Amino acid sequence: MNSGGRVVVTGMGVFSSIGKSVEEYGQSLRAGQSGIGFYKGAMDTGISVSVGAWTGDISYETLVTGYSLPGDLAQKAKQCARRSPFALQATALSAMEAWKGAMLYDCQIPSDRLGIIIAGHNLTQCFQYGLLNKFKQNPEYLTPSYALHYMDTDYLGTLSEIFGIQGEGFTAGGSSASGNVGIIKGLQIIRLGTVDACMVVGPLTDLSPMDLQGFYNIGAMGGRRFKDNPEKACRPFDREHEGFIYGQAGGCLILESMESAAKRGVPILAELLGGALVLDGNRLSNPSAEGEARAMEYSLKQAGVESGQVDYLNAHGSSSPLGDETEVAAIKKVFKKSLPRMWINSGKSMTGHCLCAAGVVEAVATIIQIREGFVHPNLNLDNPIDNECRFNDGTAKEADIEMAMSNSFGFGGINTSIIFKKVVP
Amino acid sequence: MLKDYIFKILKENIIEILPEMPEEKIRLEESLRELGANSVDRMDIVVKTMEAIGIKISMVETAQAANIGELVDLFYEKKRLAG
Repeated sequence: MNSGGRVVVTGMGVFSSIGKSVEEYGQSLRAGQSGIGFYKGAMDTGISVSVGAWTGDISYETLVTGYSLPGDLAQKAKQCARRSPFALQATALSAMEAWKGAMLYDCQIPSDRLGIIIAGHNLTQCFQYGLLNKFKQNPEYLTPSYALHYMDTDYLGTLSEIFGIQGEGFTAGGSSASGNVGIIKGLQIIRLGTVDACMVVGPLTDLSPMDLQGFYNIGAMGGRRFKDNPEKACRPFDREHEGFIYGQAGGCLILESMESAAKRGVPILAELLGGALVLDGNRLSNPSAEGEARAMEYSLKQAGVESGQVDYLNAHGSSSPLGDETEVAAIKKVFKKSLPRMWINSGKSMTGHCLCAAGVVEAVATIIQIREGFVHPNLNLDNPIDNECRFNDGTAKEADIEMAMSNSFGFGGINTSIIFKKVVP
Repeated sequence: MLKDYIFKILKENIIEILPEMPEEKIRLEESLRELGANSVDRMDIVVKTMEAIGIKISMVETAQAANIGELVDLFYEKKRLAG
Protein backbone atom coordinates (compact mmCIF):
# COMPACT_ATOMS: atom_id res chain seq x y z
CA MET A 1 0.00 0.00 0.00
CA ASN A 2 2.94 2.30 0.64
CA SER A 3 3.18 3.58 -2.90
CA GLY A 4 4.93 6.57 -4.35
CA GLY A 5 8.13 6.57 -2.38
CA ARG A 6 9.27 7.23 1.15
CA VAL A 7 8.55 10.49 2.92
CA VAL A 8 10.53 11.74 5.90
CA VAL A 9 10.52 14.63 8.34
CA THR A 10 13.55 16.88 8.05
CA GLY A 11 12.46 19.88 10.12
CA MET A 12 10.24 20.67 13.10
CA GLY A 13 9.21 23.80 14.90
CA VAL A 14 6.87 24.65 17.73
CA PHE A 15 5.73 27.75 19.56
CA SER A 16 3.54 26.79 22.51
CA SER A 17 2.59 27.57 26.08
CA ILE A 18 5.11 25.00 27.33
CA GLY A 19 7.99 25.71 24.99
CA LYS A 20 8.91 28.29 22.40
CA SER A 21 11.23 25.87 20.59
CA VAL A 22 11.39 22.13 19.97
CA GLU A 23 14.08 21.79 22.63
CA GLU A 24 12.10 23.66 25.31
CA TYR A 25 8.91 21.86 24.34
CA GLY A 26 10.65 18.47 24.61
CA GLN A 27 11.97 19.34 28.07
CA SER A 28 8.52 20.43 29.24
CA LEU A 29 6.92 17.28 27.85
CA ARG A 30 9.43 15.15 29.71
CA ALA A 31 8.98 17.13 32.92
CA GLY A 32 5.18 17.11 32.71
CA GLN A 33 5.02 20.89 32.69
CA SER A 34 1.46 22.16 32.34
CA GLY A 35 0.88 25.31 30.32
CA ILE A 36 -2.70 25.62 31.50
CA GLY A 37 -3.52 28.64 33.63
CA PHE A 38 -6.10 31.34 34.11
CA TYR A 39 -7.66 33.07 31.12
CA LYS A 40 -5.39 35.89 30.13
CA GLY A 41 -7.52 37.35 27.36
CA ALA A 42 -7.75 41.06 27.91
CA MET A 43 -11.27 41.33 26.56
CA ASP A 44 -14.57 40.10 27.89
CA THR A 45 -13.40 38.39 31.01
CA GLY A 46 -17.04 37.92 31.85
CA ILE A 47 -17.26 34.76 29.74
CA SER A 48 -17.74 31.37 31.36
CA VAL A 49 -14.32 30.10 30.27
CA SER A 50 -11.66 30.83 32.87
CA VAL A 51 -8.79 28.44 32.07
CA GLY A 52 -6.64 27.69 29.07
CA ALA A 53 -3.05 27.49 27.85
CA TRP A 54 -1.96 30.81 26.41
CA THR A 55 1.40 31.57 24.84
CA GLY A 56 1.44 35.08 26.30
CA ASP A 57 2.34 38.30 24.50
CA ILE A 58 5.13 38.08 22.02
CA SER A 59 7.64 40.53 20.68
CA TYR A 60 7.81 39.23 17.14
CA GLU A 61 10.81 41.09 15.81
CA THR A 62 12.93 40.33 18.87
CA LEU A 63 12.02 36.65 18.61
CA VAL A 64 12.86 36.53 14.88
CA THR A 65 16.31 37.88 15.72
CA GLY A 66 16.71 35.03 18.23
CA TYR A 67 16.50 32.39 15.49
CA SER A 68 19.80 33.59 13.98
CA LEU A 69 18.47 33.15 10.47
CA PRO A 70 20.59 34.25 7.53
CA GLY A 71 20.34 38.06 7.25
CA ASP A 72 18.05 38.39 4.27
CA LEU A 73 15.62 35.75 5.56
CA ALA A 74 15.40 37.39 8.99
CA GLN A 75 14.82 40.75 7.36
CA LYS A 76 12.11 39.35 5.13
CA ALA A 77 10.45 37.58 8.07
CA LYS A 78 10.30 40.87 9.94
CA GLN A 79 9.03 42.89 7.01
CA CYS A 80 6.36 40.43 5.95
CA ALA A 81 4.78 39.75 9.34
CA ARG A 82 5.59 42.63 11.64
CA ARG A 83 2.01 43.91 11.38
CA SER A 84 0.34 40.52 11.10
CA PRO A 85 -2.07 39.27 13.73
CA PHE A 86 -0.38 37.66 16.74
CA ALA A 87 -1.55 34.17 15.71
CA LEU A 88 0.23 34.38 12.38
CA GLN A 89 3.39 35.73 14.00
CA ALA A 90 3.55 32.88 16.53
CA THR A 91 2.97 30.38 13.74
CA ALA A 92 5.62 32.00 11.54
CA LEU A 93 8.14 31.60 14.37
CA SER A 94 7.52 27.85 14.49
CA ALA A 95 7.95 27.73 10.71
CA MET A 96 11.30 29.53 10.98
CA GLU A 97 12.55 26.95 13.45
CA ALA A 98 11.49 24.09 11.16
CA TRP A 99 12.98 25.76 8.09
CA LYS A 100 16.27 26.30 9.85
CA GLY A 101 16.30 22.75 11.23
CA ALA A 102 15.76 21.34 7.74
CA MET A 103 18.66 23.49 6.50
CA LEU A 104 16.51 24.74 3.68
CA TYR A 105 18.28 28.09 3.63
CA ASP A 106 21.52 26.72 2.31
CA CYS A 107 20.63 23.28 0.91
CA GLN A 108 18.34 24.61 -1.73
CA ILE A 109 15.39 22.88 -3.29
CA PRO A 110 14.07 24.77 -6.35
CA SER A 111 11.33 27.11 -5.15
CA ASP A 112 8.73 25.56 -7.44
CA ARG A 113 9.47 22.13 -5.95
CA LEU A 114 8.57 23.39 -2.47
CA GLY A 115 4.98 23.22 -1.25
CA ILE A 116 3.16 24.64 1.75
CA ILE A 117 -0.02 23.56 3.50
CA ILE A 118 -1.75 25.67 6.13
CA ALA A 119 -3.58 23.07 8.16
CA GLY A 120 -6.59 24.89 9.54
CA HIS A 121 -9.35 27.41 9.17
CA ASN A 122 -10.95 30.33 11.06
CA LEU A 123 -7.52 31.15 12.39
CA THR A 124 -7.66 34.82 13.34
CA GLN A 125 -11.05 35.02 15.00
CA CYS A 126 -9.76 36.98 17.97
CA PHE A 127 -8.15 39.55 15.67
CA GLN A 128 -11.51 40.17 14.00
CA TYR A 129 -13.36 40.23 17.28
CA GLY A 130 -10.92 42.80 18.64
CA LEU A 131 -11.74 45.21 15.80
CA LEU A 132 -15.48 44.90 16.02
CA ASN A 133 -16.33 47.74 18.42
CA LYS A 134 -14.15 50.23 16.59
CA PHE A 135 -15.63 49.08 13.30
CA LYS A 136 -19.16 49.66 14.49
CA GLN A 137 -18.29 53.25 15.43
CA ASN A 138 -16.40 54.17 12.26
CA PRO A 139 -16.34 51.60 9.47
CA GLU A 140 -14.24 53.99 7.35
CA TYR A 141 -11.33 53.68 9.77
CA LEU A 142 -11.05 49.92 9.44
CA THR A 143 -7.41 49.24 8.62
CA PRO A 144 -7.35 48.37 4.90
CA SER A 145 -4.96 45.44 5.43
CA TYR A 146 -7.76 43.79 7.42
CA ALA A 147 -8.98 42.47 4.06
CA LEU A 148 -5.81 40.38 3.84
CA HIS A 149 -5.49 39.44 7.49
CA TYR A 150 -8.96 38.08 8.10
CA MET A 151 -8.50 35.34 5.49
CA ASP A 152 -6.67 32.13 6.40
CA THR A 153 -4.80 32.45 3.12
CA ASP A 154 -2.88 35.30 4.81
CA TYR A 155 -0.82 32.52 6.43
CA LEU A 156 -0.20 31.01 3.01
CA GLY A 157 0.78 34.30 1.37
CA THR A 158 2.95 35.51 4.20
CA LEU A 159 4.84 32.29 4.84
CA SER A 160 5.34 31.52 1.15
CA GLU A 161 6.75 35.04 0.68
CA ILE A 162 9.10 34.74 3.66
CA PHE A 163 10.45 31.35 2.56
CA GLY A 164 10.17 31.81 -1.20
CA ILE A 165 7.86 28.83 -1.67
CA GLN A 166 6.42 28.68 -5.20
CA GLY A 167 5.12 25.15 -5.66
CA GLU A 168 1.70 23.89 -4.63
CA GLY A 169 0.11 25.55 -1.60
CA PHE A 170 -3.30 25.70 0.03
CA THR A 171 -5.22 25.72 3.28
CA ALA A 172 -6.57 22.36 4.41
CA GLY A 173 -9.21 22.33 7.09
CA GLY A 174 -10.57 19.60 9.30
CA SER A 175 -11.57 21.27 12.59
CA SER A 176 -9.57 19.69 15.44
CA ALA A 177 -8.12 17.16 13.00
CA SER A 178 -6.74 19.87 10.69
CA GLY A 179 -3.10 19.29 11.64
CA ASN A 180 -3.26 15.66 10.63
CA VAL A 181 -5.25 16.53 7.50
CA GLY A 182 -2.38 18.84 6.49
CA ILE A 183 0.23 16.18 7.21
CA ILE A 184 -1.70 13.61 5.16
CA LYS A 185 -2.10 16.03 2.24
CA GLY A 186 1.60 16.90 2.44
CA LEU A 187 2.48 13.22 2.29
CA GLN A 188 0.24 12.82 -0.74
CA ILE A 189 1.60 15.73 -2.77
CA ILE A 190 5.15 14.51 -2.18
CA ARG A 191 4.20 10.97 -3.20
CA LEU A 192 2.44 12.30 -6.26
CA GLY A 193 5.68 13.99 -7.23
CA THR A 194 4.10 17.45 -7.20
CA VAL A 195 6.76 18.77 -4.81
CA ASP A 196 10.01 17.49 -3.28
CA ALA A 197 9.33 18.98 0.14
CA CYS A 198 6.33 20.48 1.84
CA MET A 199 6.05 22.81 4.81
CA VAL A 200 3.05 21.65 6.83
CA VAL A 201 1.95 24.42 9.14
CA GLY A 202 -0.19 23.85 12.23
CA PRO A 203 -1.47 27.36 12.73
CA LEU A 204 -2.14 28.85 16.14
CA THR A 205 -5.92 28.99 16.36
CA ASP A 206 -6.73 32.27 18.04
CA LEU A 207 -10.24 31.86 19.39
CA SER A 208 -12.28 34.92 20.25
CA PRO A 209 -14.16 35.13 23.54
CA MET A 210 -17.29 34.42 21.51
CA ASP A 211 -15.82 31.18 20.14
CA LEU A 212 -14.70 30.11 23.60
CA GLN A 213 -18.18 30.74 24.97
CA GLY A 214 -19.67 28.86 22.01
CA PHE A 215 -17.59 25.79 22.78
CA TYR A 216 -18.61 26.15 26.41
CA ASN A 217 -22.29 26.50 25.61
CA ILE A 218 -22.31 23.48 23.31
CA GLY A 219 -20.92 21.49 26.25
CA ALA A 220 -17.52 20.70 24.73
CA MET A 221 -15.36 22.67 27.10
CA GLY A 222 -14.20 21.72 30.57
CA GLY A 223 -12.63 23.78 33.33
CA ARG A 224 -15.61 23.99 35.65
CA ARG A 225 -14.80 21.68 38.54
CA PHE A 226 -11.13 22.68 38.58
CA LYS A 227 -11.57 26.34 37.74
CA ASP A 228 -9.51 27.41 40.75
CA ASN A 229 -6.82 24.88 39.94
CA PRO A 230 -6.24 25.24 36.19
CA GLU A 231 -3.41 22.74 35.83
CA LYS A 232 -5.83 20.04 37.02
CA ALA A 233 -8.53 20.97 34.51
CA CYS A 234 -7.33 18.93 31.54
CA ARG A 235 -7.56 15.24 32.45
CA PRO A 236 -7.55 13.00 29.39
CA PHE A 237 -8.87 9.51 30.16
CA ASP A 238 -9.49 10.32 33.83
CA ARG A 239 -12.91 9.72 35.36
CA GLU A 240 -13.18 13.40 36.28
CA HIS A 241 -12.61 14.67 32.73
CA GLU A 242 -15.26 17.16 31.74
CA GLY A 243 -14.37 18.68 28.37
CA PHE A 244 -11.45 20.10 26.44
CA ILE A 245 -9.30 22.99 27.60
CA TYR A 246 -8.27 25.50 24.96
CA GLY A 247 -4.58 25.81 24.17
CA GLN A 248 -2.54 28.07 21.93
CA ALA A 249 0.34 26.77 19.87
CA GLY A 250 1.73 26.92 16.39
CA GLY A 251 3.74 24.07 14.94
CA CYS A 252 5.46 23.15 11.72
CA LEU A 253 6.85 20.06 10.03
CA ILE A 254 9.01 19.93 6.94
CA LEU A 255 8.05 16.78 5.04
CA GLU A 256 10.39 15.72 2.28
CA SER A 257 10.89 12.84 -0.09
CA MET A 258 13.58 10.47 1.11
CA GLU A 259 15.31 11.00 -2.21
CA SER A 260 15.50 14.77 -1.75
CA ALA A 261 16.61 14.53 1.88
CA ALA A 262 19.34 12.05 0.93
CA LYS A 263 20.47 14.26 -1.94
CA ARG A 264 20.72 17.27 0.37
CA GLY A 265 22.41 15.19 3.07
CA VAL A 266 20.24 16.59 5.86
CA PRO A 267 19.45 14.74 9.10
CA ILE A 268 16.23 12.74 9.02
CA LEU A 269 14.10 13.05 12.14
CA ALA A 270 11.54 10.30 11.43
CA GLU A 271 9.76 8.61 8.59
CA LEU A 272 6.10 9.30 7.89
CA LEU A 273 4.78 5.91 6.86
CA GLY A 274 1.17 6.75 6.16
CA GLY A 275 -2.01 8.38 7.23
CA ALA A 276 -5.74 8.11 6.78
CA LEU A 277 -8.60 10.57 6.78
CA VAL A 278 -12.15 9.24 6.92
CA LEU A 279 -15.53 10.80 7.64
CA ASP A 280 -18.48 9.65 9.69
CA GLY A 281 -21.02 11.51 7.54
CA ASN A 282 -22.08 13.50 10.59
CA ARG A 283 -22.40 17.28 10.92
CA LEU A 284 -22.55 17.25 14.71
CA SER A 285 -19.89 17.22 17.41
CA ASN A 286 -20.32 13.62 18.59
CA PRO A 287 -17.52 11.19 17.74
CA SER A 288 -17.85 7.66 16.41
CA ALA A 289 -15.79 4.68 17.56
CA GLU A 290 -16.41 3.00 14.23
CA GLY A 291 -15.06 6.03 12.32
CA GLU A 292 -12.06 6.43 14.60
CA ALA A 293 -11.21 2.74 14.35
CA ARG A 294 -11.51 2.94 10.58
CA ALA A 295 -9.01 5.84 10.47
CA MET A 296 -6.54 3.87 12.59
CA GLU A 297 -7.01 0.67 10.58
CA TYR A 298 -6.66 2.44 7.22
CA SER A 299 -3.52 4.24 8.34
CA LEU A 300 -1.99 0.93 9.44
CA LYS A 301 -2.90 -0.63 6.12
CA GLN A 302 -1.55 2.31 4.19
CA ALA A 303 1.69 2.22 6.16
CA GLY A 304 2.00 -1.54 5.71
CA VAL A 305 2.16 -2.00 9.49
CA GLU A 306 0.48 -4.57 11.75
CA SER A 307 -1.32 -3.19 14.79
CA GLY A 308 1.01 -5.19 17.04
CA GLN A 309 4.00 -3.25 15.71
CA VAL A 310 2.80 0.08 17.14
CA ASP A 311 4.73 0.81 20.33
CA TYR A 312 3.15 4.10 21.20
CA LEU A 313 -0.11 5.92 20.52
CA ASN A 314 -0.32 9.68 20.83
CA ALA A 315 -4.05 9.81 21.47
CA HIS A 316 -6.43 12.56 20.50
CA GLY A 317 -7.37 12.46 24.22
CA SER A 318 -9.03 15.83 24.55
CA SER A 319 -10.39 15.27 28.09
CA SER A 320 -13.93 15.22 26.77
CA PRO A 321 -15.91 12.44 28.52
CA LEU A 322 -17.62 11.16 25.38
CA GLY A 323 -14.52 11.78 23.25
CA ASP A 324 -12.19 9.87 25.56
CA GLU A 325 -14.59 6.95 25.97
CA THR A 326 -15.16 6.74 22.23
CA GLU A 327 -11.43 6.78 21.49
CA VAL A 328 -10.78 4.05 24.07
CA ALA A 329 -13.46 1.89 22.43
CA ALA A 330 -11.86 2.47 19.02
CA ILE A 331 -8.34 1.77 20.32
CA LYS A 332 -9.51 -1.48 21.92
CA LYS A 333 -11.08 -2.57 18.65
CA VAL A 334 -7.91 -1.91 16.62
CA PHE A 335 -5.23 -2.93 19.13
CA LYS A 336 -6.89 -5.90 20.83
CA LYS A 337 -3.72 -7.92 21.31
CA SER A 338 -1.18 -5.20 21.95
CA LEU A 339 -3.10 -3.21 24.56
CA PRO A 340 -0.89 -4.35 27.44
CA ARG A 341 2.31 -3.20 25.78
CA MET A 342 1.38 -0.17 23.67
CA TRP A 343 1.94 3.11 25.53
CA ILE A 344 -0.81 5.73 25.29
CA ASN A 345 -0.72 9.37 26.38
CA SER A 346 -2.19 12.74 25.48
CA GLY A 347 -0.13 15.91 25.36
CA LYS A 348 -3.30 17.94 25.67
CA SER A 349 -3.01 17.42 29.43
CA MET A 350 -0.11 19.91 29.22
CA THR A 351 -0.70 22.07 26.14
CA GLY A 352 -4.49 22.14 26.18
CA HIS A 353 -6.26 21.45 22.92
CA CYS A 354 -4.49 23.46 20.23
CA LEU A 355 -7.39 22.82 17.81
CA CYS A 356 -6.22 23.25 14.20
CA ALA A 357 -2.57 23.05 15.24
CA ALA A 358 -3.04 20.01 17.49
CA GLY A 359 -2.13 17.38 14.90
CA VAL A 360 1.13 19.11 13.99
CA VAL A 361 2.08 20.04 17.55
CA GLU A 362 1.42 16.45 18.65
CA ALA A 363 3.33 15.05 15.66
CA VAL A 364 6.31 17.07 16.90
CA ALA A 365 5.79 15.57 20.38
CA THR A 366 5.55 12.08 18.90
CA ILE A 367 8.80 12.49 16.98
CA ILE A 368 10.59 13.91 20.03
CA GLN A 369 9.52 10.84 22.03
CA ILE A 370 10.58 8.44 19.26
CA ARG A 371 13.98 10.09 18.99
CA GLU A 372 14.64 10.49 22.70
CA GLY A 373 13.15 7.16 23.79
CA PHE A 374 10.53 8.16 26.32
CA VAL A 375 6.79 8.61 26.72
CA HIS A 376 5.68 11.88 28.21
CA PRO A 377 3.28 12.07 31.16
CA ASN A 378 -0.47 12.08 30.82
CA LEU A 379 -1.22 14.54 33.60
CA ASN A 380 -4.10 14.22 36.04
CA LEU A 381 -4.84 10.60 35.31
CA ASP A 382 -5.89 9.72 38.85
CA ASN A 383 -8.60 7.19 38.01
CA PRO A 384 -8.37 5.90 34.44
CA ILE A 385 -11.64 5.25 32.62
CA ASP A 386 -10.17 1.97 31.39
CA ASN A 387 -7.79 -0.50 32.96
CA GLU A 388 -6.77 -2.45 29.88
CA CYS A 389 -5.11 0.40 28.00
CA ARG A 390 -1.54 1.20 29.03
CA PHE A 391 -1.98 4.91 29.74
CA ASN A 392 1.09 6.63 31.03
CA ASP A 393 0.68 8.34 34.41
CA GLY A 394 2.04 11.65 35.64
CA THR A 395 5.73 10.94 35.05
CA ALA A 396 7.78 10.31 31.91
CA LYS A 397 8.93 6.73 31.26
CA GLU A 398 11.85 5.49 29.23
CA ALA A 399 10.48 3.66 26.18
CA ASP A 400 11.94 2.31 22.98
CA ILE A 401 9.56 3.50 20.30
CA GLU A 402 10.07 2.07 16.83
CA MET A 403 6.60 2.81 15.52
CA ALA A 404 4.10 5.44 16.69
CA MET A 405 0.59 6.46 15.75
CA SER A 406 -0.96 9.87 16.33
CA ASN A 407 -4.71 10.46 16.29
CA SER A 408 -6.71 13.63 15.70
CA PHE A 409 -10.47 13.79 15.50
CA GLY A 410 -12.69 16.76 14.75
CA PHE A 411 -16.24 18.01 14.89
CA GLY A 412 -18.16 17.16 11.77
CA GLY A 413 -17.20 13.49 11.92
CA ILE A 414 -13.57 13.95 10.82
CA ASN A 415 -11.22 11.11 11.81
CA THR A 416 -7.49 11.04 11.12
CA SER A 417 -4.58 8.88 12.07
CA ILE A 418 -0.93 9.04 11.03
CA ILE A 419 2.05 6.74 11.58
CA PHE A 420 5.70 7.62 12.18
CA LYS A 421 8.67 5.28 12.26
CA LYS A 422 12.00 5.74 13.93
CA VAL A 423 14.91 6.34 11.60
CA VAL A 424 18.30 5.21 12.80
CA PRO A 425 20.99 7.56 11.53
CA MET B 1 -5.15 72.44 12.43
CA LEU B 2 -1.89 73.38 10.81
CA LYS B 3 -0.41 71.68 7.78
CA ASP B 4 2.77 71.11 9.78
CA TYR B 5 0.80 69.17 12.34
CA ILE B 6 -0.85 67.03 9.65
CA PHE B 7 2.55 66.33 8.10
CA LYS B 8 3.88 65.33 11.52
CA ILE B 9 1.04 62.83 12.03
CA LEU B 10 1.49 61.44 8.53
CA LYS B 11 5.22 61.06 9.11
CA GLU B 12 4.62 59.19 12.38
CA ASN B 13 2.29 56.78 10.63
CA ILE B 14 4.72 56.21 7.76
CA ILE B 15 7.44 55.34 10.26
CA GLU B 16 5.11 53.07 12.20
CA ILE B 17 4.24 51.11 9.08
CA LEU B 18 7.71 51.29 7.51
CA PRO B 19 10.04 51.26 10.54
CA GLU B 20 13.21 51.13 8.43
CA MET B 21 12.36 54.49 6.85
CA PRO B 22 14.80 57.22 7.90
CA GLU B 23 12.75 60.20 9.00
CA GLU B 24 14.75 62.65 6.89
CA LYS B 25 13.71 60.82 3.71
CA ILE B 26 10.06 61.62 4.31
CA ARG B 27 9.71 64.91 2.47
CA LEU B 28 6.71 66.67 0.96
CA GLU B 29 7.90 66.16 -2.61
CA GLU B 30 8.33 62.39 -2.19
CA SER B 31 5.55 59.94 -2.96
CA LEU B 32 4.71 57.08 -0.63
CA ARG B 33 5.26 54.68 -3.51
CA GLU B 34 8.78 56.00 -4.15
CA LEU B 35 9.54 55.64 -0.46
CA GLY B 36 8.86 51.93 -0.80
CA ALA B 37 5.32 51.66 0.57
CA ASN B 38 3.34 48.97 -1.23
CA SER B 39 -0.33 49.54 -2.11
CA VAL B 40 -1.63 48.06 1.16
CA ASP B 41 0.94 50.00 3.24
CA ARG B 42 -0.17 53.20 1.49
CA MET B 43 -3.81 52.61 2.28
CA ASP B 44 -3.05 51.71 5.89
CA ILE B 45 -1.00 54.91 6.28
CA VAL B 46 -3.77 57.04 4.77
CA VAL B 47 -6.58 55.53 6.85
CA LYS B 48 -4.54 55.73 10.05
CA THR B 49 -3.84 59.40 9.40
CA MET B 50 -7.48 60.17 8.56
CA GLU B 51 -8.47 58.61 11.86
CA ALA B 52 -5.90 60.59 13.81
CA ILE B 53 -7.01 63.86 12.24
CA GLY B 54 -10.70 63.03 12.38
CA ILE B 55 -11.64 63.23 8.72
CA LYS B 56 -13.17 60.79 6.23
CA ILE B 57 -12.14 60.86 2.59
CA SER B 58 -12.75 58.26 -0.07
CA MET B 59 -9.79 56.20 -1.24
CA VAL B 60 -10.48 57.41 -4.78
CA GLU B 61 -9.71 60.98 -3.72
CA THR B 62 -6.59 60.15 -1.73
CA ALA B 63 -5.23 58.04 -4.57
CA GLN B 64 -5.10 61.21 -6.71
CA ALA B 65 -2.49 62.84 -4.50
CA ALA B 66 0.79 62.58 -6.41
CA ASN B 67 3.06 63.06 -3.41
CA ILE B 68 3.09 63.52 0.34
CA GLY B 69 2.67 67.27 0.00
CA GLU B 70 -0.54 66.87 -2.01
CA LEU B 71 -1.81 64.38 0.54
CA VAL B 72 -1.17 66.88 3.33
CA ASP B 73 -2.98 69.57 1.33
CA LEU B 74 -5.95 67.27 0.78
CA PHE B 75 -6.18 66.36 4.46
CA TYR B 76 -5.79 70.02 5.43
CA GLU B 77 -8.56 71.11 3.07
CA LYS B 78 -10.96 68.42 4.31
CA LYS B 79 -10.25 69.28 7.91
CA ARG B 80 -10.80 72.96 7.22
CA LEU B 81 -14.13 72.35 5.49
CA ALA B 82 -15.24 70.06 8.31
CA GLY B 83 -14.51 72.89 10.70
